[in-house]
Amino acid sequence: MNAALRLSLASLRAHRRRFAGTFLAVFLGVAFLAGTLVMGDTLRASFGSMFGEATGGTDAVVRGADAITAPGEAQGVRRPVDVSLARTLARIPGAAAAAPDIQGAGRLVGADGTPVGGQGPPTLAGNWITDVRLNPYRIAEGRAPARPGEVVVNRGAARQGGLRIGDTTTLRTPDPVRVTIVGLATFGGQDGMAQVTFTGMTQADAEKYLTARPGRAASIQVRAAAGVSQRELVRRLAPALPEGVEAITGRQAARENTDLISGRFLTLFTTFLLVFSGVALLVATFSIHNTFAIVVAQRTRENALLRALGATRRQITATALAEAGAVALTASLAGLAGGIGVAAGLQALFPAIGFPFPDGALVIKTLSLVLPLAVGILVCLGSALLPALRAGRTAPLAALRETAVDTSGASRARALAGAALALGSLAATLTGVLVSPSLRTAGAGALLALAAFVVLGPVAATTAVRLLGGPLDRLRGVTGALARRNALRSPKRTAATASALMIGVAVVSLFTVFAASLKATMDQTVSRSFAGDIAVSTPSYGAGGSGLSPRLAPALRRLPEVETAVGLGRGVAEVNGDGRALTVTDPAALARAFDLGTVSGSLRDLGDDGIALTRTEAGRRHLRPGGRARLTFADGRTDTFTVRAVYDRSELVGDYVITRSAWAPHRTQDADRLVAVTLRPGVGADAGRAAVRRVAARYGHPEVQTREAYARSSAGGIDMMLSLVYALLALAVVIALLGIANTLTLAVHERTRELGLLRAVGQTRAQLRAMVRWESVLVAAFGTLGGLGLGAFLGWVLVKASDGASDTAFAFALPPVRLAVVALAGVLAGALAGLRPARRAARLDVLRAVATE
Amino acid sequence: MTTTTPERAAARVADAVKVYGSGDTAVRALDGVDVTFPAGRFTAIMGPSGSGKSTLMHCAAGLDTLTSGSAHIGDTELGALDDRRLTLLRRDRVGFVFQAFNLVPTLTVAENITLPLDLAGRAGDREWIDALVDIVGLRDRLRHRPSELSGGQQQRVAVARAFAGRPDVVFADEPTGNLDSRSGAEVLGLLGRAVRQTARTVVMVTHDPVAAAHADEVLFLADGRLADRMPAPTADKVLDRMKAFEVRS
Repeated sequence: MNAALRLSLASLRAHRRRFAGTFLAVFLGVAFLAGTLVMGDTLRASFGSMFGEATGGTDAVVRGADAITAPGEAQGVRRPVDVSLARTLARIPGAAAAAPDIQGAGRLVGADGTPVGGQGPPTLAGNWITDVRLNPYRIAEGRAPARPGEVVVNRGAARQGGLRIGDTTTLRTPDPVRVTIVGLATFGGQDGMAQVTFTGMTQADAEKYLTARPGRAASIQVRAAAGVSQRELVRRLAPALPEGVEAITGRQAARENTDLISGRFLTLFTTFLLVFSGVALLVATFSIHNTFAIVVAQRTRENALLRALGATRRQITATALAEAGAVALTASLAGLAGGIGVAAGLQALFPAIGFPFPDGALVIKTLSLVLPLAVGILVCLGSALLPALRAGRTAPLAALRETAVDTSGASRARALAGAALALGSLAATLTGVLVSPSLRTAGAGALLALAAFVVLGPVAATTAVRLLGGPLDRLRGVTGALARRNALRSPKRTAATASALMIGVAVVSLFTVFAASLKATMDQTVSRSFAGDIAVSTPSYGAGGSGLSPRLAPALRRLPEVETAVGLGRGVAEVNGDGRALTVTDPAALARAFDLGTVSGSLRDLGDDGIALTRTEAGRRHLRPGGRARLTFADGRTDTFTVRAVYDRSELVGDYVITRSAWAPHRTQDADRLVAVTLRPGVGADAGRAAVRRVAARYGHPEVQTREAYARSSAGGIDMMLSLVYALLALAVVIALLGIANTLTLAVHERTRELGLLRAVGQTRAQLRAMVRWESVLVAAFGTLGGLGLGAFLGWVLVKASDGASDTAFAFALPPVRLAVVALAGVLAGALAGLRPARRAARLDVLRAVATE
Repeated sequence: MTTTTPERAAARVADAVKVYGSGDTAVRALDGVDVTFPAGRFTAIMGPSGSGKSTLMHCAAGLDTLTSGSAHIGDTELGALDDRRLTLLRRDRVGFVFQAFNLVPTLTVAENITLPLDLAGRAGDREWIDALVDIVGLRDRLRHRPSELSGGQQQRVAVARAFAGRPDVVFADEPTGNLDSRSGAEVLGLLGRAVRQTARTVVMVTHDPVAAAHADEVLFLADGRLADRMPAPTADKVLDRMKAFEVRS
């Protein structure tokens, strides 16, 4: 074996503990990365097989050829097909059966009166397809619906809602429909299609409640006769299809569904996780670099001896690198195993906490193994490179130096470089925020700010620790003074240790500030745009929920307490060729419940051929009141609309407004997303709310809130996201704390004799422990405060740049309580990180320490 | 063995046995030693390597515990004390000067001198400390860090620290081992003056006959036992006595 390798293995064996922190940092980072990749692939495969299952018996899908997709929407709206087409298609040679698939939103109300599902996955209702092979659902208990009002519910949804066969409940389509459950269904042997809820009705019911007009279906599913391939079937169906209708194979339909999920949701999900594993690995880099730097410093004498005995620089450097390589390899391999374990664990955990993921075997691709392994080794070796080179430069005559106070950190060159970076960052961010708003310029500035903080760390460490530790001298006497000076001993080391925590805390505060700003933005949106007294809505996320019945607003208007009730419905059309979301409402009443800002023209008489739009959109499309816009609807019809009004604020109302009568010919399944109510003068908010609630109860118990409560709940989802982000960032912070603990342990080892001396002249164990703990707290406080400052600054940059670069007006908010909690948590965590090194230091044998030569 | 003088004892060990290891590898570093260090005297302990002189000092000072027998500082029996009480006793009643690494590098000279007092949270006797600073001649160095001092100056700081709290006894372990002869003589002179002018007690372990000659009495240890004592030593007499050990072994 080569000498360098033998030396490094021997030293690893001898100092296993020193590398425990490095091992853990690499392990956690790699496990996070590998877990994310494996989980992404597994979910993608699971969704693939789930959609395969859903269309397993379907050989061809016949549907409207063109889809109109509004920006931000996952799925386009297609023109419906005639139900009668199914009979025609079934008669074509090569087709064994054909059934219309009538689908819409349908949210079940559970036994306790609360809606079932709606937290992301779709809540669907449809016709119960009687052809067993075309229907992915199977009756598990009871029977199929036969009479009006009878439904089959998937078993998972029934369990969630506490519903049993024979129960009668409400289905919001969104008009409330009384339904009786006659059967429970399974999907591919499972209780449902992941967490999707499905309610199967008779075809007549489905046509009645889920479409605007009976006789229309979303698509027609066709099954091939024996010996006819899917492609062949599609070829034979083609001549029988009317214009604007297309046929695709069942496999292609499954693939489209899978792509829809992977392309949007899954990619977003894995990217999100990858970003956080990147943060964790970045933090790990600092911890690892610090460990190696200290180990090399401690080994100066040993390396000097080796150099004196004839070892070359290269050999010493190689020894240090080989050591890092060995740690990297074992930790990365362990991390891979850990990551696969994490993925398996999460897969089991997600359904239990209500995440909408299907299950299936773990998918471990080569990339998921190679990438984390390579990243782990690279991060570890890269972090160890500088210390290893420094080890190689050890002079053979490096004397028996005592560990003196090192102030090398605060060099002039460093201060100048840091100042230059800081100035560059300031220039870039200010340009990106104020001069020509751009997220990219601002982002570059943010990265420069991060670099400036890291470079300036050692310069700032001296001053910061002196200031932070100032009170310690008075509070804790000589113990505090010693802790403070120990933290000041090597500003470079203190800064590197703190930098890891700083980055973690900076990201935490960035998200905290951004979330608070988003909340403030929402609050501002509601308080600026919502002029009503009461809001009626159905909270749901993602594709879930079914909205509000369009009959609710007229019913509320009849109440004596109510002055106006305006519902905002959804529509979609291509405006001059681009898919756009439309708001379908009663424009005349709109201005009474919503503040639209300055309105040019009049919303009063849009009529059947008038449209109103925001000033921004009008400017973009060069439209003015009196101008004309061509709207193409999902049913294929194109109409010319006249611009009758231009308004300022789009926040709640949306960019385009048309009347209900203009939308009526093109409507599909109608739903309002929000009903705004204004009360007559003299009616109290509580009385008004009670009256509205009584009427709303008949329309499936939607949420009835005062204006303030509505503003608060609009921002509710943000807190949930923030908790998730905190959980993900916890790992990076843990790595940073491990780094502090590790640095301290190494420092304690380095100061063995000094600690022994202190003990000999009368420092009690408790005082010694306190001294080490306070040092840890000081380093953590330095990192935390730096992180808070950096995070708040980056948050400001992000908010302001978003504000300038997008249509939405963002408000900036600093949440003082939350940030104080982050600061406190950082400092407390520092105390926690110091516990073990402090205990180890206190266990030190006084005599051995004094006698160590 | 000569009878002990009836002076007050600053520290003493009785029947002191210290065994390192166990079974076949057991080493009896101390094998039944009875010694009293009288108050107000400067005692040197000498002996060849492995004679147990350092062990004796460590056990007498409460840095190490005896396997059997007893050790006292003043009237306090050390064996009965737990780690905390031992620490407090060292802090309040014992002073130390080690061969090297006597000072905390992050503290200034002044802070190093008052370290035991600061650890105890006591203000100490300002006049006494002031006098000490003058005795060791470091008034112009009080704000310096140890790394800015020469080896001899560092040891003088250590001596000042050892006496700062007016301890019952100061233990010095080869205090001149790392110093050139001139600096060494200065440090030894300081220890001697402290004993004679301020009635302090010093126990010093050394292998240097010249250093031992500064003491009032020299104890010779060999193979873990008290082999001889020599009142009013001179360097030559000590050297001759030491040679006798070498011849014998």
